Amino acid sequence: MIASVLAGHSAVADLPVRKDSFYERLGIDVILGEGAAAVQLDSSEVLTEGGRTIPFDRLLIATGSDARTVPAAEAAAAELDGIFYMRTLKHVESMVRILPEAGEGTGSALVLGGGLVGFKAAYGLLHRGFRVVMLIKSGYPLFMQVDAEAGRLIQEELEKKGLEVRTGVEAVGFEGEGRVEAARLSDGSMLSCSLVVVGKGVVPAMGFLPTEIETHAGVVVDEYLETTVPGIYAAGDVAESVDVARDKPWVNAIWPVAVEQGRHAGWNMAGRPVAYPGSLSRNVIRIFDLDVLTAGVVNPDEGEGYEAQVHYDPRRRLYRKLVTKEGRLAGVVLLNGIEQGGVLMNMVADRRPFTAPVERFFDGSFNFGLVSGRVG
Amino acid sequence: MKNVVVHPERCVGCMQCMIACATAHSHTKATPAALLEVPRPSPRVHVGAGIYNEGFPNRCRHCDPAPCLLACLPGAIYRDPETDTVLVNYDRCINCASCAMACPYGVIRYTEDYKAPPGKVVSVKCDNCVERQHEGKVPACVETCKTGALTFEDPAIAAKRKTGEVARSVSVGEEAREVPGSPTFSLLNALKRAQKIVNIR
Amino acid sequence: MIDPKKYENRTITEDGRLMLAKAEKDMIETVWDRHEAQQPQCGFCEMGLSCRICAMGPCRIDPFGEGPQRGVCGADADIIVARNLGRMVAAGAASHSDHGRDLVEILGKVASGEAQGYSISSPEKLHAVAAEYGLETEGKEDLAIAAELADAMMDDFGSKKSHLQLVSRAPQKRRDLWDRLRMMPRGIDRETSEMMHRTHMGVDNGWDSLIVHAARNALSDGWGGSMIATDVSDILFGVPQPVPSTINIGVLKEDQVNIVVHGHNPLVSEAVLQAVSSPEMVELATSKGAAGINLAGLCCTGNELLMRKGIPMAGNHLMTELVLATGAVEMMIVDYQCIMPALGTIAQCYHTKMVSTSDKAHFPHMEHHEFHPESATDTARELVRLAIEAYPLRNPDKVYIPVEPVDLLAGFSIEAILGALGGTPQPLIDAIVAGKIRGAAGVVGCNNPKIKHDYGHVTMMRKLIENDVLVVDTGCASVASAKAGFKTSKALEWAGPGLKEVCGALGIPPVLHVGSCVDNVRILVLAAALANTLGVDMSDLPLAGAAPEWYSEKAVSIGVYFVASGIFVVLGPTPPVTGSMNVVKLLTEGLDDLVGATFAVEPDPEKAALLMIKHIEGKRKALGLEARNIV
Repeated sequence: MIASVLAGHSAVADLPVRKDSFYERLGIDVILGEGAAAVQLDSSEVLTEGGRTIPFDRLLIATGSDARTVPAAEAAAAELDGIFYMRTLKHVESMVRILPEAGEGTGSALVLGGGLVGFKAAYGLLHRGFRVVMLIKSGYPLFMQVDAEAGRLIQEELEKKGLEVRTGVEAVGFEGEGRVEAARLSDGSMLSCSLVVVGKGVVPAMGFLPTEIETHAGVVVDEYLETTVPGIYAAGDVAESVDVARDKPWVNAIWPVAVEQGRHAGWNMAGRPVAYPGSLSRNVIRIFDLDVLTAGVVNPDEGEGYEAQVHYDPRRRLYRKLVTKEGRLAGVVLLNGIEQGGVLMNMVADRRPFTAPVERFFDGSFNFGLVSGRVG
Repeated sequence: MKNVVVHPERCVGCMQCMIACATAHSHTKATPAALLEVPRPSPRVHVGAGIYNEGFPNRCRHCDPAPCLLACLPGAIYRDPETDTVLVNYDRCINCASCAMACPYGVIRYTEDYKAPPGKVVSVKCDNCVERQHEGKVPACVETCKTGALTFEDPAIAAKRKTGEVARSVSVGEEAREVPGSPTFSLLNALKRAQKIVNIR
Repeated sequence: MIDPKKYENRTITEDGRLMLAKAEKDMIETVWDRHEAQQPQCGFCEMGLSCRICAMGPCRIDPFGEGPQRGVCGADADIIVARNLGRMVAAGAASHSDHGRDLVEILGKVASGEAQGYSISSPEKLHAVAAEYGLETEGKEDLAIAAELADAMMDDFGSKKSHLQLVSRAPQKRRDLWDRLRMMPRGIDRETSEMMHRTHMGVDNGWDSLIVHAARNALSDGWGGSMIATDVSDILFGVPQPVPSTINIGVLKEDQVNIVVHGHNPLVSEAVLQAVSSPEMVELATSKGAAGINLAGLCCTGNELLMRKGIPMAGNHLMTELVLATGAVEMMIVDYQCIMPALGTIAQCYHTKMVSTSDKAHFPHMEHHEFHPESATDTARELVRLAIEAYPLRNPDKVYIPVEPVDLLAGFSIEAILGALGGTPQPLIDAIVAGKIRGAAGVVGCNNPKIKHDYGHVTMMRKLIENDVLVVDTGCASVASAKAGFKTSKALEWAGPGLKEVCGALGIPPVLHVGSCVDNVRILVLAAALANTLGVDMSDLPLAGAAPEWYSEKAVSIGVYFVASGIFVVLGPTPPVTGSMNVVKLLTEGLDDLVGATFAVEPDPEKAALLMIKHIEGKRKALGLEARNIV
């Protein structure tokens, strides 16, 4: 949603999903503005940053993730205004405040990273009339979400609207008087910019946990969202469960996964065992005239048994990539015609075999009747 | 409680439910005026082609729990407990398409609507014709369907009837797939299926 | 470049697949795209259960028996299905017959010297047909005979007669049957007009009597409008004789001005052919850098030119859009019937000029250059000139002619077939009696995106000739088999031993190219001649017919007139009659008692061929000939 605020589509007041009375209505004691600092296993207590001690019978770790920091940006941000991460409401509020100064409508912005965050930041700034230069390590934007072909089409669309993408360079330092005015790049060149957004991914916020709670890429949980310590659960960006498309442990740090895992953790913690089938990476973005929907394994590794079929219809501007494995759908990339994306995404999540020839799914508007199994 | 029940084996693909639905969700609520309105009303039920090009009326199931409701970022999708209907608040909707990504049935579309803020594209889906129900009418799609592919009844009663049909078809040794009561439609479907199979060969 | 293999499920032809890939690259919407977008097609209409005939409606019948069972007027499923079928026959018969009428008008104008560029090419046929009409030919000038014949034929179109003249070609038994059943066609326009009357609300509400009149209407086409069309075309442009030519997209030439004719009436295509051959035009073409002018045909008018003049053909119905995607067509000239209104839009993506020529047939994005008999030559020449002027506008980057054309032998009119047999049908009869040739099958009709393009025709014909059945074909079916190589002596390899021997000895292919869709009457005449020679009715002959990929209302008329003439017909695509079991039963069973033949519907062309073979063997047995037992 904060990307929507940056783009100017939504107001900050539109952000809260719940009314203020939410906690009271559900009988939740809430402590705001104070994080957890440590978990003491032997006494089953949580220590807060403010020095409180809270005992628990069941604990849910849902601390989410934080923006991954970039050393050059960290160093410069202390001296120069105009360098932001994009993770919290505060970040975006600060950004929006300085937009007029930074040259809204004429200025130039630098975005570090071509992942979802960087991408959405770029879109938002383009929408506000900025010229945007995006520096990415990989070959094309949204590297983790789409394949090269779709990435190229997306890049072309953004380039039409004023985006410039540079690959293989990084920002190594920033210059300016009080406010950022230019970036020093790894190839030795200088790039003038009045605003910098860092979108280099997120890191699960689990540093404060004791070692008995096993972590890899995230806090390791079983199918009941329970960690390696009985009675302690994890859900959301901080948790690592099995990815149903990849068939291996993975962190899918997206909103719908957080919701699913939260619900399942809640049931299990309340004493009703409900197995969580696993998470699925998925995303849908609307950028100018292009809609992008992705789910599951999009860039399969060689030799793992995946097959990909691509169909591009330039006349109707439809791009489809369907990744299959052993007769079931394992991944989807759709450019435009995304209304049926949910059907495909659920086919991936449910690990259902195909009910019709794969070519039938290339159509922009195939109907659920194809998968309903009706024989009639 | 009565609900719209879909019987896909009776759908002939005539798409009249789509026209009736769009008309019922227009300002004038009558053809042809409805179809000339700006913004043009759109159908919430979608008739598409199955594997053998048979018709399939695809409609919101008003799931509980509803994946679209859970996926909605600004909380624009909510449930009306009185009619057990999942509805969209057009003012809150930000057209992010997260609901389409979540919906396992692909019933959500994005268009302008006369009830949404002018010029705003929003998420549009079946609303169980709650307005018509309050007036004592049945949902528009049901009223229009002439083959009984869409009925308005207690799903339990529909299921019981289906059980009876299956039981009878098994007990007289008929092909379990035979659609009770229409040898002519079965003949058409058999020929269409045979044709498709020959083509794929 | 897009991989043409992805189009394997749309067509069996190589040029079709390659051109579909080119069309996708050029972002052309094709008939297949539009067909997919139409799915699901309305079941009420597919079953013939919807009726739009009057303003008390529109109505539909619920096949499940719970919704409405009668239209507002009270018509039930049987009546609605029969009425709809009747109107399909009327439309098809009207199309063929109007085409015939246009030719009769020209014959009259040739006689009075008002038809520029047209003349009597076959005085023999003129005399023969005139004699059938009871006209005196001794000592008369050809033009005088032509005037009288045209007049007499016009009478066949009217309401004065009790039976059409050319019905006399049918065996007496068959004509008696038609009289008895009230199927005897009295006037060509009359039967169509009466069908429109009968199907008005509140007229004929007998589903069976409607079918009987449909048979009469179709017969007014088969032994009337179409037969006149073919005979007058032979008189004006020549009776076809065996002629070699080439076929498929490869007949278009990269270094020449390509003009393609599409539609039906040879009145237009023959005039264009004349203009194309004129030295003045050829010189103009070379002055623009072309090596010459290349005329190619599509669909029936292409078949007319092929049969009489050996002009190459570029393709059949589903290839008409793809021809434009070669980027090498300077002009496509159309008249009427089977011309998709999409063509004008597609041509806009290339330099191709689309020209309509008939006041009866206007199309979006086409230039209209109307043909009139008094100025046909001038108009044709003007069109050829415009086409040549367009040659320099061709974009070489968009040109794609990816295949070499296939050879074929065409031109098998009855006269040519009899000629090949040595002057009489006896050798064919002997071969049938001896069992070397089991019988004959007419495989005819269109293409339809519901069927894999050409798969129905080619698969069926392959199976038939393997089983020693001689095949005669027309229309799009004849293009399909020619492209697949069936019209060469090499095709004898695929034929069964008996057929191979007989055709090999006669120097003919196992599949005989009989012509355009009106030329289906040549098959009727051949069957009638065989029946007359043997002293039996047409329904006794070891013959079968098939339309494995039909789409057109004209095909409905053809199918009905074949069955009404006693020949069993198998259809590929299902006609819109399944809404009434009574009508289905009549068409597939009941008609046997009435006319000695029925319809069958079989989507699988191999199974359909088997039905035909079984039928043929059954007829052999009934005639007392040696017969195989087919399971």
